[in-house]
Amino acid sequence: MLEIKNLHAGVDGKEILKGIDLTIKPGELHAIMGRNGSGKSTLANIITGRENYEVTSGTIEFNGENILDMLPEVRALEGIFMSFQYPVVIPGVNNTYFLRAALNSKLKHRGLKEVNAADFMRLIREKLKLVEMDEKYLSRAVNDGFSGGEKKKNEILQMLTLEPQLSILDETDSGLDIDALKIVAQGVNNFRNSERSFLAITHYQRLLDHMKPDFIHVLIDGRIVKSGGMSLAQELEQKGYSWLEA
Amino acid sequence: MKQFQKEFDAFLEHFSEENPALRDLRLKAFNKFKEIGFPNKKWEEWQFTDFSLIKNSNFRLSWNSELSTIPKNIPGRIQNTYLILIVNGHYQPRLSHLPNEVSVEEGIKYFKSNPEVYSIDNSSNPFLSLNTSMMNSALPIYIKNNIIIKKPLQVIHLTTDLSDKLMNHPRFNFHIGENSEATIIEHYIGSTSTSYFTNTVSKINLEKNARLNHIRLQEEDRASNHIADTSYTLDRESQLEATSISSGSKLFRHNIKLSLNNEGASARINGLSLTMKNQHHDQHIVVDHASDSCQSHQLFKYILSDRSSGVFNGKVIVRKKTKQTNADQSNKNLLLSPNALMNSNPQLEIYADDVKCSHGSTTGQIDSEALFYLRSRGISKQKAMELIVSGFAKDIIDHIKNIDIKSYVSNHAFTWLEGSMKNV
Repeated sequence: MLEIKNLHAGVDGKEILKGIDLTIKPGELHAIMGRNGSGKSTLANIITGRENYEVTSGTIEFNGENILDMLPEVRALEGIFMSFQYPVVIPGVNNTYFLRAALNSKLKHRGLKEVNAADFMRLIREKLKLVEMDEKYLSRAVNDGFSGGEKKKNEILQMLTLEPQLSILDETDSGLDIDALKIVAQGVNNFRNSERSFLAITHYQRLLDHMKPDFIHVLIDGRIVKSGGMSLAQELEQKGYSWLEA
Repeated sequence: MKQFQKEFDAFLEHFSEENPALRDLRLKAFNKFKEIGFPNKKWEEWQFTDFSLIKNSNFRLSWNSELSTIPKNIPGRIQNTYLILIVNGHYQPRLSHLPNEVSVEEGIKYFKSNPEVYSIDNSSNPFLSLNTSMMNSALPIYIKNNIIIKKPLQVIHLTTDLSDKLMNHPRFNFHIGENSEATIIEHYIGSTSTSYFTNTVSKINLEKNARLNHIRLQEEDRASNHIADTSYTLDRESQLEATSISSGSKLFRHNIKLSLNNEGASARINGLSLTMKNQHHDQHIVVDHASDSCQSHQLFKYILSDRSSGVFNGKVIVRKKTKQTNADQSNKNLLLSPNALMNSNPQLEIYADDVKCSHGSTTGQIDSEALFYLRSRGISKQKAMELIVSGFAKDIIDHIKNIDIKSYVSNHAFTWLEGSMKNV
């Protein structure tokens, strides 16, 4: 589904990713762990198409198509989603209106009929229950006055609504208490199936305990230095990262 | 100046039978206008706006006899409202539709009983004097005590079908009696391709415990000049909710004065300015807290695209010995183009201790983080920008309580937005 080959990229002429190779197949959940500044978020931003990052060499293919020249909205319509590390507040833009606009954009792209306001309300109320969010958040502006935990739940709510093929979870565990973490992880786990893939970016093992990734990769200084299964996460929790550094 | 003198002389000749006191006032006002002259760059309160176009354009007055046919469908008509219609400066009583409780008096009658309303003595604004000298549609709209008018009253000042460059000096007096309540829409619309000049003055008076929603819509043609002077006087416990939405005119200058003259008066004055191409919008607001326990809230937003420019100058004055004043003032501006320009100057002048005051101003562009966030959900860049910009304007529109007015304004703002975003 996602195939990254020898990716070199950076920002303002500074190289951050120094040759990433990563293949994610349908149904797999991969986790990327690493310290601050190792390039984890850069990788997520490049896959989703944020401006100001330069790819100097390498390729990213999604379902066999090169996505590097695609606009961010086109990548999203093709099935790529990112749960933001810092979800953005958008004053004056109603959360429900935004969610419906996003879903309709996707339905239209697939040649399907757009959903009307009443049907959308029924749909979104179901999804809200899955992440244990109060309905009051629907009538607010996007992320406006949301606590850290509610913002992250709102990200997962969007994922459940838009049903992407590839979901990138950028530090979705940061700022969450234990209860919220469980709810978010449960939301992701219930959403997993043989068609959907995930890339979870995290510092900590605790999210992974709930999600049970198929593969764990350790990113140090822009390179994947080690890959393995759940046991690697446990090893990192005990030993830290220094034993992997050259 | 020659042209203004010529038009003034013609005006006096045309209305030679007019009441002598009013005639004296006109002469006095015109002399004052000549004495003050047009603002220039050295005048601090007027420095950011160039008035040479008005000075040199040779505008002439409009006469009732040359009025062309009035369009069947009046543009800008808002549903479920009463109507006062003025076309090219001429009041159309037959096409207007008023509730029984509202009287549109003859200007002269109101002038005789309220001469102070027409005083120009304390003003250095040349356009107020100019207006007073040639005010031709002086409409006093009078609401007596203890009357609640549920349906809004829409005053449409329409400029249409011009063959010559015309000027008009409309004068409105809105009087809301004790314990009375009303919603008044003061609506300027232009649909003509000829340049014109509207120089309007509105005096709005709220008696004890009166409540007024005042919606001012400025949708003049973009080839026009619109100069306005709005002053609100609030008596004890009266409440004003004012919203000014302006998208028209090449040159727009609006002076707003709010006088909180007696205890417990409160006012909210909001403004939204939408500019594109080479439009210039200049608004000066003075809020005068002259009594105890008064509140004032101001929120002015500008959305500027292309090469347009804006000026916001807001001043809150809290007079000596006043108590329990609560005042805030905020100016927020969104630049949609690197060539758009905004000049913002919020000021506080506080001469009392017992006050709660705040002010602030921000000017920025569309938040790139917000834009990426929306696009990452599959929303196109164009649509995402529209969402962000309409979100920026939303709190101003949300303050309009009446649903028909709100829906008119949001449609108008959205149409403007779609038009302006095409060039971004």
